[in-house]
Amino acid sequence: MSWDYFIYFSSVSVILWVIGAVVAFRTDKRLVPTIFTVAGLVVFFLFIVGMWISLERPPLRTMGETRLWYSFFLPVVGLITYERWRYKWLLSFSTLLSAVFIVINIVKPEIHNKVLMPALQSPWFSPHVIIYMFSYAILGAVTLIAIYYLFKEKKLTGKDKLMEMTDNLVYVGTAFITIGMLLGAIWAKEAWGHYWSWDPKETWAAATWISYLIYIHIRLKKGVSNRTAMIVIIISFVILQMCWWGLNYLPSAQQSVHVYS
Amino acid sequence: MDKTEKLIWEQPWRYAEGFYVAIGIALSGFLLQIAIGNLQLTAFQYPVNAIIGLIFISAILLSHFFLRKAAVVRWLSSVYATVPAIVVLLGIVIILGIIPQFVPYATKADIPHNLSGLFGWYQMTTSWTFIFSSYYLLIILGFTILKRTRRKFIWQDIEFYLNHLGLFLAFMGGMLGSADMNRMRMTVSEGQMEWRAQDQLQKLVELPIAIQLDTFMIEEYPPKLMLVDLESGKALPYNNPVAYLYEGEGKSTQLMDYKIDILSYLPNAAILRDSINTSAVAYLSEGNTHAIKVRVSNENMTDPVVGWVSNGSFMFPHSVVYINKDLAVAMPMQEVKKYTSHVQVFTEGGESKAAVIEVNKPLRIANWTIYQLSYDQSKGKFSETSIFELVRDPWLPFVYAGIIMLLAGSFYLFIVGPKTKKS
Repeated sequence: MSWDYFIYFSSVSVILWVIGAVVAFRTDKRLVPTIFTVAGLVVFFLFIVGMWISLERPPLRTMGETRLWYSFFLPVVGLITYERWRYKWLLSFSTLLSAVFIVINIVKPEIHNKVLMPALQSPWFSPHVIIYMFSYAILGAVTLIAIYYLFKEKKLTGKDKLMEMTDNLVYVGTAFITIGMLLGAIWAKEAWGHYWSWDPKETWAAATWISYLIYIHIRLKKGVSNRTAMIVIIISFVILQMCWWGLNYLPSAQQSVHVYS
Repeated sequence: MDKTEKLIWEQPWRYAEGFYVAIGIALSGFLLQIAIGNLQLTAFQYPVNAIIGLIFISAILLSHFFLRKAAVVRWLSSVYATVPAIVVLLGIVIILGIIPQFVPYATKADIPHNLSGLFGWYQMTTSWTFIFSSYYLLIILGFTILKRTRRKFIWQDIEFYLNHLGLFLAFMGGMLGSADMNRMRMTVSEGQMEWRAQDQLQKLVELPIAIQLDTFMIEEYPPKLMLVDLESGKALPYNNPVAYLYEGEGKSTQLMDYKIDILSYLPNAAILRDSINTSAVAYLSEGNTHAIKVRVSNENMTDPVVGWVSNGSFMFPHSVVYINKDLAVAMPMQEVKKYTSHVQVFTEGGESKAAVIEVNKPLRIANWTIYQLSYDQSKGKFSETSIFELVRDPWLPFVYAGIIMLLAGSFYLFIVGPKTKKS
C-alpha cells in the first residue's frame, strides 16, 4: 500500500459517510446510517493497516500520519454520540471535519518512509499517539457542539440535554488526554531519563489539560453561564491545536524532542 | 440576589476574591523573582526539600483540623478558589510554552539580559512566580481532598480521591524531588572501564558505579538518494524534498522529472577519485562507506548519465552524479536505526551485571538507571565510544504512585462520566 492510494480509499470512505449522514436526517431508524458509517470506517481502516504493513512501522510519525488517524476517529466519535444521544447533525459535522483533514492530507502530503528514529521504537509509541488522536477527535467534536451552541443559543431548545452531552464528551476526552499524557510520561522516563522535562510539546499538553480541567470545574457549580463554558471549550481547543502542530512555529520548539521529520 | 449585594471581600468569597488572591500570590512570586532571581535548586536538596514537604503537609492538616470553621479554609477547598488558581497557572504555563527554556542549571551568563530574563521566564519552572502559584494550587488541592473525608463515603468518591490525591502526589513529588535528581553523562570507549561522569554543572565526579563497554554497534537504515540544487545545496523540490530509500539493485524510481535506475550497490565501499572519474570499489575495513551506481535519464537528455553516488565517511569524500550544471543526485547521511552498547556494570557494593543497553531499553542497577544517550557522531557507524546518561531520582516512587492513581482515576472518569445533575 502506498500513499498514492489514499485518495481512492478516502474518497470511498467520505462518500459512505456522507450517505450515512444524509440518511440519518431522513429516517429515525439508526440502522442504515450506522451501516454506511461503519462501512466507511472499515474502508478507511484498511488503508491505515495497509500503510502500517508497507511502512513496517505504525503510521504515527509524521503530522500527515496523525491527521490520518484523526480523520478516522472523528466519524467514530460522531457515530458513538449519534448512537448515544441521537443528535443527527453531529454525524454530518464529524464527516465534514474529517473530510477537511483528508483534503489537507491530499493537498499537502508528507514523506512517509520506513525510517523510525530509535527514540520512537517503543511499545509505548502506538498507544500514546493513538489515544491522543482519539481524544483530539472527541474534543474536536465537542468544539463543533460549542460553536453550534454559540450560534444558535437563542433558538435552541433542550439546552440541558446538549450540556449533558457536552459534559460527557469533555469528561471522556479529558480522561483520554490524561491517559495519553501519563503514558507519555512513563515512556519518557524509559527513553529520556525523565518523566517530565517541560519540552514545548509537554508544556502545551499540560496547558491543554489544565484548560479542560477549568471547564470541568466551572461546571461543578452553578454561576457560570453555558455560554462562558462553551467559550472555555473553544479556547481549550485552540490551545490543543498549539500542542498538536502550532508549536512548530514557535521559537521555543526549536529544541523540542517532539518535532519529527 | 446576594451576588449583587455582596461587597468584595465580604464572606462568603466567590470567584472575584479567587482571582484577586490567585493573582496576588502570583504577583508576590513575581516581585520576589525580580528581587532575588531564580530559585537555586541545589539549596533545596535533601533534607531541605523533605522538611519543607513535611511542614507544608502538616500545616494543611493542622489548619484542616483546628481551623475548620474558618471561612478562608472552607473557601480554599471550593471551586471558587480552585478555578482562578488553575486559570493563573494556565497563564504561566502558556508563557512557559512560548519562551524558549534554559535548563535549570544554566548559569546567569547564558541567559539573555532582557525583561523575560529579569522575570525569570527563561527558567520558568524555577521562577518564584511558578513556584508560588503551584504551591497555592497544591494548598487548595490538599484542603479539597481533606474536606471530602468529612463527608459520608460514597463509591463515586474513589474517582475523586484517585484523581486529586494522585495529582497531589505526582505534582508535589515532582516539585520537591527536582532538587535531588542526579543526571550524569558518562563517555566510555570500547574495551575501557569508566566511573567518572559529568554532572549537570559540567563538573567531573566519581560515581559509585562503573561501566565497562565491551562492544558498541550501530545499525543504519538503507541509504537514500535525492536531487540537490548545486547552487543552494538544498534538496529538491524546495517546499517538500523527496528522498528515495534504497530498495535493491535493478529497481528504478522517479525523482521529479528524472528516472533513476539503480545499477549496483556497495554497502562497504571505498571511493576512488582521479582528475576525471569517481568510482567505488568494495572495501571492508574501517572507514568504508556506502555507494550506489545510478543511471539518470530524462526525455530531454540526449544520453543518460551514469555514476557512483556516496555520502562518504570520515575517510572518504562524498560523491554526487551531476545531471547538468545546476542539478545532481546525492546521498544524504543515513538515518540511524538502532545503537547498542554491550556492557558490564559494577557497583561499589560489589554487584555486577552484564547487559545490553539501547535507546528505550535502559538498565536499572542499585538506584541508578543507565540510558543509552549518544555516541561519537563524527565517526558515525565506526564510533568506538558510547555516551550514557546515569539517572538517580529518589522521589520517583511518590511520582509514580501519583501517576498510577491518576491513570486509574482517568479510567474511572471515562467509565462513570460526570455526575448527572438533577434539575
